[in-house]
Amino acid sequence: MKNYIDFVADASWNTLKGLWVTLKFLFLPSITVQYPTEKIVPYPRFRGMLAYDAELCIACGMCVRACPSRCIALAKAAPPPAPPPAADGQPAAPAVKAGPKIEWYTIDYGRCNFCGLCEESCPTKPKAVWHSLDYEAVFSTREEMVRRWKRGDGPWGTVKRSADAQPSAISDQIHIQDMPVRK
Amino acid sequence: MTEETIKPLSEPVYNHAHGRLLLPGTRYWPTDMWKSPWSLPTYRRGAAVLAGLITGGAAAAWFVGEIGPRLAPLYAAAEAFALSHDIPAFWISVVWTFIKGAILLLAPLVNALFAVWWERKISAHIQSRLGPMYVGWWHGALQTLADGIKLFLKEDIIPDCADKLVHTLAPIVVVIPAIIVFAPVPFGSGLVFADIDIGTVYVFAVGGVSVMGIIMAGWSSGNKFSLLGGLRSAAQLVSYELPRTFAVLPVIMLAGTLNIAEIASSQAGYWGGFVPRWFIFYPVVGQVAFIVFLIASVAETNRVPFDIPEAESELVAGFNTEYSGMKFALFFLSEFAYVLLSCLLMASFFFGGGAAPLPFLDFLPSWAWFLSKTLLLMFCFLWFRWTFPRFRVDRLMDFNWKFLLPVSLLNIAAGGLLIWLIS
Ligand code: SF4
Ligand code: SF4
Repeated sequence: MKNYIDFVADASWNTLKGLWVTLKFLFLPSITVQYPTEKIVPYPRFRGMLAYDAELCIACGMCVRACPSRCIALAKAAPPPAPPPAADGQPAAPAVKAGPKIEWYTIDYGRCNFCGLCEESCPTKPKAVWHSLDYEAVFSTREEMVRRWKRGDGPWGTVKRSADAQPSAISDQIHIQDMPVRK
Repeated sequence: MTEETIKPLSEPVYNHAHGRLLLPGTRYWPTDMWKSPWSLPTYRRGAAVLAGLITGGAAAAWFVGEIGPRLAPLYAAAEAFALSHDIPAFWISVVWTFIKGAILLLAPLVNALFAVWWERKISAHIQSRLGPMYVGWWHGALQTLADGIKLFLKEDIIPDCADKLVHTLAPIVVVIPAIIVFAPVPFGSGLVFADIDIGTVYVFAVGGVSVMGIIMAGWSSGNKFSLLGGLRSAAQLVSYELPRTFAVLPVIMLAGTLNIAEIASSQAGYWGGFVPRWFIFYPVVGQVAFIVFLIASVAETNRVPFDIPEAESELVAGFNTEYSGMKFALFFLSEFAYVLLSCLLMASFFFGGGAAPLPFLDFLPSWAWFLSKTLLLMFCFLWFRWTFPRFRVDRLMDFNWKFLLPVSLLNIAAGGLLIWLIS
């Protein structure tokens, strides 16, 4: 009889404890995010879509070599015109340190595994290629997976749309933030 | 860009698109959408909304006032109109009954619309989710309506090996008792469809008929999951009917009547001016009877933790596995109708029906108190559902026969003792 009463008391107490937990959670804020209108910012270490700065890149090709998936390709720009030969008795004109050294630069997201090695190997400061926090990567064709950059294209580059097969800016795809995080 | 632009929100802001507050400390994208002059700290806002709803409802109830006593003059006027136009008074009573019946029919329907939404919201918030947010203007308020329309448009599938007649009949057999069972149940003083003297017996008798429908559904579907569900349901409902009825016996003994409205009104008055004379406040007997009745009612309505007839993880959906579209909706409707019925019964058996909890609060009409007590009890049903895991079949029977039944029987004896002590 004592066992029975103990059992009943114990069960009732545990029941009340359970009810208290759910009641507490009922009034705690929920953690769901209403995605299209509310977006969570990933932590700075997050490796999202790659961003690239054509003005900074020195076209050294380190990222191409570092990439295990071989998804980066680039072409160096033609070197700036050589300074005119020094006239007699005058010092040679200093070499012109002109503009970007890159002709074009592409990253194929169809192969990229977001390992971050390209960013790690980039020698410029700040990095010329780096992982942003953008996780809204949507592609409808394989061609769209190739991001390409030329001079003045901004960090997100352009992409060849399937509709008109013309390279177009992908600004409409980047809603998450205006500028990527740089480390 | 630097860390500053994605720093956590420093103060709570209101997301207009979803009517939802974002807490400080959460890391969200800095979007203009959340900048709002209406920003208020979360809990202040929630409390304000709740307080607004309650005071608004109370004010509306106070404005409308008692409905019950107004019906008699209305009926008299209709009768006078009939006499002056040579219509037999008999027809007036027939029409009157039909009107009352139509209003009564609305009770389970409106209740289902509301309760399904409420249940989804409560379940979501207990699990730190949000639940329906899009349909309707406020927090998915019209979600159930949209779901109802969807169910109406769905194909009605009758499986090949089902017994077609019984399969079609089963939801009808379930839902008709679930509606007519409301006849003797009061919704406030004077608001009762059929003021019959054996109301309690009627409710338990008619409510028991729905078990037939569930067994029919299980048997006729030609599916072993359905059959198992139907059989489990039969075993469960028949066993839990006993403690449920026994739990009410002390109440009936104390009130001295079987008429539900009279049981409710016999609890009027206050001990010492402030403790209401509700049966739940009778020492020991009242509380035990209430708890046994509550547990048995949860079991009777096939809800978690007593949902073995439709245990999703074991039996697909139990007896309604093979039902689709509106037939499925009928089962759902009757489930929530029985939840409402249990809450109404508990409100009138144990919580004094339409009586105000404190003497100075009785400026609100009885139907408002009835409604709020019913909703509070219904909240308990939903709360249990999202707290407890399902019983195992044998433990379910153990719990009934080894705990609820002896306790309710002892409680009847204790009730007798109490009456002897009082008199
Ligand atoms: S993240 Fe890794 S796989 Fe992707 S481009 Fe950079 S180095 Fe290649
Ligand atoms: S992105 Fe960096 S590593 Fe790659 S070519 Fe440019 S400077 Fe070199």
